[in-house]
Amino acid sequence: MKKENIIKSILKEYALEIIICLIAIILIIFNPNKAYFGIKQAIENFKNLILVIIAVALLTGFISEVVSKETIKKFIGKGSGFKGVLIGAIFGSLMVGPAYVFFPFFKEMINKGAKINVIVTSITSWAIKAPWIPFAVVLLGLKFVIFYNLLILLFAIISGYIVEYILVSLEKQKVKL
Amino acid sequence: MQNLITGLILLAFVVILYLFLLTKKDYKKFQKGVKKSLKILIQNSIRLFAIFLIIGLLQNFLSKEAVGKFLLNFKGFIGIIAGEFVGSIMMGPAASGYPIAKYLFDNGATVSLVSAFLLSWVMIGFISMPLEYKDLGKKFMLVRNILTLIGIIIMSLIMEALI
Repeated sequence: MKKENIIKSILKEYALEIIICLIAIILIIFNPNKAYFGIKQAIENFKNLILVIIAVALLTGFISEVVSKETIKKFIGKGSGFKGVLIGAIFGSLMVGPAYVFFPFFKEMINKGAKINVIVTSITSWAIKAPWIPFAVVLLGLKFVIFYNLLILLFAIISGYIVEYILVSLEKQKVKL
Repeated sequence: MQNLITGLILLAFVVILYLFLLTKKDYKKFQKGVKKSLKILIQNSIRLFAIFLIIGLLQNFLSKEAVGKFLLNFKGFIGIIAGEFVGSIMMGPAASGYPIAKYLFDNGATVSLVSAFLLSWVMIGFISMPLEYKDLGKKFMLVRNILTLIGIIIMSLIMEALI
């Protein structure tokens, strides 16, 4: 590749990130003190999640190069039925860190034949955050937290089926969004 | 702390998977897997750091008190919409949303408003939508998020009725 092409592809790939950095620079000039704390917080956040980020990358690479399509399909693909949905819900509610850390992993799972509804259920049930439930109970009370999390779980499962239904019918009708 | 512990467990699990490959002397797959992982690690790290940066800046330029006070102006159905809107813009770890929810409760906000705020805090992020778009596609991102926006309104109404 020519040098210009490499620069062009980097600009295209990371357009959003470059815009964010520009905003950050403007904010630093505008209010250095607050911006400093913001950047410090970002680094802190990143440090906190670095193990998860590394693990997700390694797991995604492993699934992409080593695990067969058949294996993925068996557990969370077509024919896995409600068992697959449950696997997705349990995985999503136990994980920590934001769901978007795992987006490359989900992409690889779909490539390997995972069902859309399992992935949607997993992403939505991320909101449950099982490791933080005790903290939430202390602050917001048991009743609120129980109903809140049950509703999320229910919605995660239902929305999985609805999203899959809509995406499949869009695909059938060849609708472009 | 939870993040580090879960991260460590997850990492240990993945390392065992890779070690298993080595014991089977499958060096080619091992190499391919690690190579792909490194590529993903670099790409994901850049993207995530940019997101963390914008979240960090947002949190410092919009204080929690200001957000809470703003939300306390609303009630009823408009409260749900306001909670949903603010929750979608603001992002951060789920754990830092709970104290804001407590502040709202202590100051007499309705259950539906607090639910809408908390639910969209963890489920919807305007800032992470470009990531979802890049990895999972435009249709997936649009359908999932629109459905979630509607779902949050319904869930908030149910919460109000239940509590």
